[in-house]
Order: sequence, then C-alpha cells, then structure tokens
Amino acid sequence: MSLHSLMFGWEYPPLHLGGLGVACQGLVKGLLRNGVKVTLVLPHANKTAEREVTVLSTDDLSASTMSVPSMLQPYDTHGSYDIRVGNISREECEIYGGDIAGAIEKYTAASVQISKNITPNVVHCHDWMTYGAGKRAARHHRVPLVAHIHATELDRTNFHPNEWIYGFEKKGFEAADRIIAVSNYTKNILTEHYGIAESKIVVVHNGTSEHLSSFRAPNVHSLHGRKDAPMVLFLGRLVLQKGPKQFLDMASIVHQRKPEVQFCVAGDGDMLPEMISYAIERGLADCVLFTGKVQNKEVSELYRRAACFVMPSLSEPFGLVALEAAAHGTPVVLSKQSGVREVLDHAFTVDFWDTEKMADCVLTILREKPLAQQLQSEASRAVTYLTWQHQASTVRSIYEQLITT
Amino acid sequence: MPSICLYFQVHQPYRLRDLRIGDVGTMDLQYFDAEKNRSVFRKVAEKCYLPANAVLLELLNSHPDFRIAFSISGVFIDQCKEYGEDVLESFRKLAETGQVEFLAETYYHSLASLTSLTEFLEQVTLHVRTIEEYFGQTPKVFRNTELIFRNELAHVARLMGFQGILAEGADRILGDRSPNMLFAPPKFRLSAAQERVIRKFRPFGKAQKDIRILLKNYRLSDDVAFRFSDRSWIGFPLTADRFTDWLMGSGGCTTNLFMDYETFGEHQWADTGIFDFLRALPRIWEERGIATRTPSETIAAWNKIKQPTECFDAHEFLSWADHERDLSAWQGNLIQIAALQALHALEKPVKKTNDLRLIDTWRRLQSSDHFYYMCTKYWSDGDVHKYFSPYESPYEAYRRFSHALCDLRQMLEARPPDSPLPTPDP
Repeated sequence: MSLHSLMFGWEYPPLHLGGLGVACQGLVKGLLRNGVKVTLVLPHANKTAEREVTVLSTDDLSASTMSVPSMLQPYDTHGSYDIRVGNISREECEIYGGDIAGAIEKYTAASVQISKNITPNVVHCHDWMTYGAGKRAARHHRVPLVAHIHATELDRTNFHPNEWIYGFEKKGFEAADRIIAVSNYTKNILTEHYGIAESKIVVVHNGTSEHLSSFRAPNVHSLHGRKDAPMVLFLGRLVLQKGPKQFLDMASIVHQRKPEVQFCVAGDGDMLPEMISYAIERGLADCVLFTGKVQNKEVSELYRRAACFVMPSLSEPFGLVALEAAAHGTPVVLSKQSGVREVLDHAFTVDFWDTEKMADCVLTILREKPLAQQLQSEASRAVTYLTWQHQASTVRSIYEQLITT
Repeated sequence: MPSICLYFQVHQPYRLRDLRIGDVGTMDLQYFDAEKNRSVFRKVAEKCYLPANAVLLELLNSHPDFRIAFSISGVFIDQCKEYGEDVLESFRKLAETGQVEFLAETYYHSLASLTSLTEFLEQVTLHVRTIEEYFGQTPKVFRNTELIFRNELAHVARLMGFQGILAEGADRILGDRSPNMLFAPPKFRLSAAQERVIRKFRPFGKAQKDIRILLKNYRLSDDVAFRFSDRSWIGFPLTADRFTDWLMGSGGCTTNLFMDYETFGEHQWADTGIFDFLRALPRIWEERGIATRTPSETIAAWNKIKQPTECFDAHEFLSWADHERDLSAWQGNLIQIAALQALHALEKPVKKTNDLRLIDTWRRLQSSDHFYYMCTKYWSDGDVHKYFSPYESPYEAYRRFSHALCDLRQMLEARPPDSPLPTPDP
C-alpha cells in the first residue's frame, strides 16, 4: 500500500532542548525506511524560509519539508512565549502572533493553507500545539487523524494544568482517530485524567537515534580507574517537571557521605537561578556545576564523563535522555514516574520523592564496581534493540489499519 | 513397570530489609526483613504447607504402602521456630508415620558446594544433626541445593557416607538413555587434601563404597509442577488417571518425580484442583499395582536385583533451574559472581570470631535465593525470576545484599584482633 503522511511536527534542535524534535526526526526517518512518504510541516521563525526546503533525508529517501512562519517552540507556555515575543517588533508580532493563543491560531491557519494541495492519506500531529492544525487538515483532506502525545500538560505542570492548554489538548485527543502514546505511563494518564478510551490509544515507545546505537560503552576501566572524582549527571530543562530540586536533594545526601563526588546540572530553564541558590543553601557550592544550555556534542562528552546519570522527573512520559545515557554506557537511576523504565530494565528505579533512596542507589553504583560494569554493558546493549526503523513499522501498521477500516 | 519416587523440596529464605548505606557499620546483623519473612511464611503455610501436609497425612494413613520423601532446609526449620510451630508439628506428624524419608542438604540451602568444601561439609553435617533432632531419622541420601551436581560432588557425598544423591535428568548427559534407571558416577579419586577435609568434617563415621544417582524425570515432574494449570498446554486438564497412564508408559525401574513442595497450593493454587489431583494418586496407583518408594528404598531395590549400573558422567555443573539447567540462574552475571565471591572471602574472619550469631547470619546470606534474585537472564521477558523475587529488580537485590556485606565486613574489621571468645549461646 502506498502511504503518504502529512505530519505537523518539530525540528531537530541545534541545542539540546528535550526529546520532542529528536523523536519527530527519528520517527520521520523510520517511516521513510518503511516506505512511507512524509510531508513534514515545521514552525520556523525566519521570514525567508517560506519556500520548500528538504532537510530530512535518509539514504536516498527524503521527506519534503514545509516551513510555516511561527515562533512556537517545543514545550512553550504562555510565559515562555511572552518572553520571546517581548523582543520583537510590532510588525513581526502581526505575523507570528502576540501571545501563545494568537501564535497557535496563526500557525494553524498557515500550516493548513500551505499543505492544502498535497494528497496525504493520513494526518499525523505531535503534541498539543499542532493538534489544531492536524484537526483542520484531516477534515480538509478527509483522511484519518493520528495524534501523537510526547508530553501532556499534566506532566509539565506536576498535575496543575493551565486549563486552556489542557482543554486544547483534550479536544485534540477527542478529535483523533488514533492516539499514539510514548509509553504505558502516558497512556494511563490519558485514560485516567483525560477520559480517553483505552481502545483508541496505542503505545509506541520512542526509538533510539542511529547515532546512539553506534556508541560503544567506554572501556570499563575508565570509569573507576581514573583519578579525578566521580561525577553524577542531571540533564534536562530546569523546570519543575524534570525534578532538578530532587536532584540537588539527592546530591546533598551523597555529598555528606562522599564529599569528593561532583555533580553536574546540565540544561537551562526558568528554575536555573532558584536552583543555584538552592545548591548554595544546601552547602553544595563547591561540588555542583551548572552548565546552562549545552550543545549536542558537549552532551555526549558529559554522558561519557559521568559515573552515574540520574533522571528524577516528577512525571516523564518517556525520558529519552535516560536511553542516551545508557547508550553511552553510563549507569542510570530513573524516576519510577517515567515511561522509559518500560524499556530500560537495566537501571535502578525510585520514586522521584524518595531522594534518600535515590542517593543510596547512586552511592551503591559508585561503591560497587561490578554493579557499575554490569549496568554499563547490559543497558547499552539493550538500547540497540530499540530502533526507530522498528518502532516506525508499528506506526505504519497503525496507518494501514486506519485507512482500510 | 516403574515404581514412583516422590520427593518434595521445602525451603524459605530470609529476605533482606531495605538496607541503607547510612546504616553500614551499625546494623548489628539486623539484615533481614522479619515482617516480610513472617508474612510470606504464613501465606505459604496457609496455602500450601498446612493443607498439603493434611492431605498427605490422610493419604499415608489410608495407604500404608504409600511413600514420599522431603528435603527440608535448615533455614526453613529456623523459620518454623520463629513463625510456625504448627507447620513444624505437621511435618513431624508425617515423619511419625514411618512412611516418609528425609533427605540431607546444606542447612542454609546454599551454594557452598561451589565455593568451599569445608563450609559445605559443615553445613551438611549441621543439617543431618537437625533432621535427626526434629524427625528422628538419619538421612541416607543427599540432595544439593537446586539439584546442583557434578561428578566430583557425587564422590564427596559418597565419602561423606551417603548411599545416594539426586540430580537432574539432563538430556545433554543422558543422551537417548532414560532417566528412569539408577546411575553411578565415573570412578575416580579426589585429591588427598580433599579426602582429608571430608574425613574431618563428614556427618558419618565412614564412607560408602558406592553411590547411586537418582535422576529427576523432568518431563513428568514438570507436567505437575509447571504445566498443571496451563490452559494452553496440550495435556490440560491433567487428571490423576491420565498422569498415571503416562507414568506407566515411561518405562525403566523408577520414575523420579522431584519438585518444590510449594507446587501444591502456592505455585498451583487450590482452585486449579491440584489437591484433588494429589489426593487421587495413591488410590489409582494401588489399583494399577504401581508401588511408591522412598529414595533409599529405590536404591535398595536396585542393588538387590544386581543389574549393571550405567555411568552418569557430568563434568560440568548441572541443576534443575531454568531451561539451561546449569548455574546461570545464580552465577550468570557480574553482580552474582561478585556477590558470591565477596561473601565467601569472609569465611575465615567470620569463623575466627567463634561468634555463633555472626556465623549464622553470614550463612543465611549464603542461601541461593539471594543470588537467584540478582539474575538478569531474560529479565526483560518478565519470566519466573521476576515472579519469585521479593524485590523490584535484580539491581535492588544486589543493592541490599552489598550493604549487608559491607556492614558485615566493617564489623569484622572493627573487632579487636585478640578479643576473648564470647561464650556461645546455649
């Protein structure tokens, strides 16, 4: 069956901005390899980029890409959008939208307009900001709508949602013919908190990008044989959802027992100033390093340097960073409130609030060499089985099923 | 027509508490989760031990020729004393019928046979004395933890004075031969040093000239233990009649049905009909003229007819665990190997203390279950290891175990080198 998916997605970010863009790109490549034609519509805040460009390709296959003028970015909130819009001219505000609601309306209209002449047999959209575009495009082309959910408003807000966003999201779920959730964890949130029928949701875990499976676990001696102090890593946006405070609480317990351990908090976000003060308050000034935004290649180096990676998220639909860490051969401690634990067995899991136990797992990894070695080798091997090509084949069959029924 | 040899394994380990690194050095040997251990023991007692013992007692009384065998680990008897005198009493009632044989094993259901000959001998001797004390009989047949076996172990058991030893009827050793015969290990001598240690620590005054190997018929045993309630299995539902047909058809001189006692009521719940199945067997066997024999009766009957005994030649370790039937369930990954090594590295300093409570605690950490819980073999497939583990992951099992070891090590290091020997508990 010849398949053509019109996809409203997100760009692969030049800076490590979280998993949404990474997952979109991985899925598109995987779909191309599975013989699905993809037209990808992306928000792009550059007036000259309105014409068609091709950025996504794999082997000799490529997705055609359409850029829509928009300043929307993954994980935007009312606040984060307002800050960016504050720096642009009135004229640009007219184009992009002065607040997030306006921006979404403009993005939706432009996206549907730009893609109205193609002939897809399915529309696929990623996270709430694209759901409006998905709905209208599916109606226009008279084809089924797939809503992919990478993170819900509840995950981002520790279950205190902005009602407008929650409502927008819920309408998207309801309009979709099929919902793809990135984990069973997320599927449960949709059934429990959005009242979505279980039968409508399919779980497709994220894959790992090709570049990950090519990483070799570092030589096992390098972890404990080296002279410099062991480093424990946090990587993620510094927002409530990611649990940076829990990380520092854990760090403070580890620090009391093993003062030589270093901690690295990599990533930017509105909680950065607060977290710096908090670290100082907890007496961690000399052992925590805040890196701010990190480049992708720096991220790789951080994973490799770390003796242990901790993901203490309060609610994590998937948690691609944990897979990335595992792929680099870094032992992982995961929040139980995450989707990635469904695919990453070779790791410690703890409740995000149990920072005592989190610290205990970290200390055990630092103390027990055979344990660290086993987590290194087993977890990085497990990662290689989870490819986007394989995950996309499931998405392809979801398309086929929707089209034929 | 083969006779039937039924043996049931009875064991419960001491599971570990959620130990924390901050308590290392101050745990005072309080490693075990008394609440958890009590609740598991009571749960299994109500579901399995008490009802199954009641069924067996009734069967033994109404069928004077019915024979069974148990191997009851020493740590199980310890737990009976803590959590269930009623359970111990019900096993004693079975022993009083005179129709039940009790086998010898390592007191702590340990992997000592892999690590230390002295420790192994001490644990078996301790177990033999315990069985004598509680059940009034001296074991003549040995079964090692999880049927772990190889040639050398058969000779160790022979030199200790045992007439027989149990092993898995593994196809890779049997080839096309039936497990329903008795076997002997290839003849060879252990080293003089090994023989000296055995003479020093063995439970009995003298060695046996020969030893017979009884092999588990794993197909027929597992039909009951694993497949009884499996609706997708072609043999479902398994009736006592049908099972007896299979037994009669299996040939040879003895069909050895070896399984965990928890099969009755715990692995296979009462509502699967497992107790009715058990209850029906002796009558059907009697009607069809099938005898039941204990392991030592099976050996005696075999020796009486003086048939040539074939060799069962196991160079490598066998066991009854998993599809692989090797040691990989306990020694298959880095953390399992490290944990066992680190534990046994403490043997000398632990024994030097002469502190009975400390030695006992160190030995409780030796139960094979601790290592089984650390198994990552097909961990992702949600297999039986997951089902049987009290912890949420193999890594959690290792975390707790390593804290206990660290604490024990620190405690040993903190002791003054020439401290006067404490008076042992009476």
